[in-house]
Amino acid sequence: MKLRALICVLLCAASTAWAENALKDVDLDSSPAALRRGAVTVTSRCLSCHSVKYLHYRDLLKLDFSREEVMSMGNLESALLALTPAEVSEQAYGRVPPDLSLLAKAREGGPRYIYTLLTGFYQDQTGEINNHLYPGIRMPDILGWSGADSTQRAALAIQANEAAAFLMWAADPRADERKSLGYYTIAYLALLTGLLYLVKRKVWARLK
Amino acid sequence: MSQRLITWIDQRFPLTAFIKHALTHYPTPRNLSYWWNFGFLAGFLLLLQIISGVFLAMHYKPDVDLAFDSVQHIMREVNYGWLIRYLHSTGASAFFAVIFIHMARTLYYGSYRAPRELMWWSGQVLLILLMASAFMGYLLPWGQMSFWGAQVITSLFGATPLIGDEIVLWLRGDFVVGDATLNRFFALHYLVPFFIVGMVLIHLMALHHVKSSNPSGINLADKDNIPFHPYFTAKDLFGLGVFLIIFCGFVFFAPEFFIEAANNTPANPLRTPPHIVPEWYFLPFYAILRAIPDALGGVVAMTLSILIFAAMPFLDRSRIPGGARFRPLYRVVFYIFVVDVAVLAYVGSQPPGGVIFQIDVAATVIYFAVFLTLPFYSRWEERWLRARGLPPALQALLDSDTELRPRRETRQ
Repeated sequence: MKLRALICVLLCAASTAWAENALKDVDLDSSPAALRRGAVTVTSRCLSCHSVKYLHYRDLLKLDFSREEVMSMGNLESALLALTPAEVSEQAYGRVPPDLSLLAKAREGGPRYIYTLLTGFYQDQTGEINNHLYPGIRMPDILGWSGADSTQRAALAIQANEAAAFLMWAADPRADERKSLGYYTIAYLALLTGLLYLVKRKVWARLK
Repeated sequence: MSQRLITWIDQRFPLTAFIKHALTHYPTPRNLSYWWNFGFLAGFLLLLQIISGVFLAMHYKPDVDLAFDSVQHIMREVNYGWLIRYLHSTGASAFFAVIFIHMARTLYYGSYRAPRELMWWSGQVLLILLMASAFMGYLLPWGQMSFWGAQVITSLFGATPLIGDEIVLWLRGDFVVGDATLNRFFALHYLVPFFIVGMVLIHLMALHHVKSSNPSGINLADKDNIPFHPYFTAKDLFGLGVFLIIFCGFVFFAPEFFIEAANNTPANPLRTPPHIVPEWYFLPFYAILRAIPDALGGVVAMTLSILIFAAMPFLDRSRIPGGARFRPLYRVVFYIFVVDVAVLAYVGSQPPGGVIFQIDVAATVIYFAVFLTLPFYSRWEERWLRARGLPPALQALLDSDTELRPRRETRQ
């Protein structure tokens, strides 16, 4: 009976995680090409202030970039560090911009949070740039969302989507390996458990 | 050759005698349901946690500047490090889930009653050791929730009268949770499992002395006992297979289900997260802590809410065997208790205040009332059942129990 209680608890926990109704629904495009375009957006835009320090440029090779393409972005053996030194950003923004390696896991809603933030910039009545998701944000409107018209926004939304997808990959680069190993493991366990059930039945059949 | 080797060993060590006593000739009631599988599963999880933990410790660095990075190193660079870590973090949650079910089974079937009080109490010690180990282990990834959870829980000890501040300082080794705390929690997190193993051995020795309880609640005649091996090794292994399928579902497809998002941000003593929540398995107790506005009162209530289980053999005054099975009132109270714990867990996960606080207080009152009124309603229930005439199935069981009858007759 505690099992039912547990399930109830788990559902409650899950419901709080998804109560982020402020977040926009986004159908994340995680195709290899989208991840590569996302990587270009992140390294060319975000990296001017943010780091993605748990990734090395060599890790981008796993996204099927050519060696030359990656080497044009940075040294293979160096981490994806911010181009602006931390002290300078701190002077400019009041705090060091957070590292993005785990951002997609560190916020409720994950990539949806990133997408909503990037496409949440607007110009308020005083002409200041603000953000719907994060009022008072210090980060500039890096994609230029607030000044874009609807056709431009359609393209920017795709760009934000791909950046979010890339950051999800950066937070969990082993996800594909984990899932494929998971299918084999569960298939093996299902077979094993089926056999164990037959063993149990056979053993217990001796009892009359 | 192998027979000679075994004889050689047997002359020096009671190997065959031990296998006979513990497995092949160990009498086990044949009517055990799958609810009796969870002790075995808990033993499996203890081994899994120790083995995965040893491998994690080979790559982990208990230093405030390195801990978070070393976890990411395990996740990204160590071969199958992600698998070892997710087995360990999911294993912790699974351990509590299994233990809670194991306890619920004991409560439902009245397995804590004579002669199994020492099993119940050694289990109680195991629960506390498990909680201590889980709490200290949760600090090690050095995420925001690790840090602030530890900060909140260690500060609870400050409610101790007179020497509260000194105790908190002594626990942390510093005025705040810091490097000293992380180092000692790592050392203790590695130490406590050895105490757990020792206590499990005591738990098992007591079990092999008093034997398993069973759904009927009385000692079965010899003909109804079957050897543990092969019957229950086969049954438990099948149960383990089912468990592993569910467990691996989480490990491979939802490994972060039990990890707070905020814990993927490195600990920052200068930024308090808006909402500090403990791990799900502490939520009911955390809710009881918050139900009482006074700090000391809250800590006492929370401690009592865990320790009060130990009093069950004294609180339950009914002599009707079979736990909730033959006791309609106790059964209803059992389900109320389970729902109440679930409500407390939900309340504990919510930001405090308003309606949540009122539900919290009500659920806490019900929690303790279930225990404290048990001596009265259990006795009343027994009188009522006997006056009404025991169900024929139960009467037949009672008549077949040779050990119980003389005691019952002297009492009547």
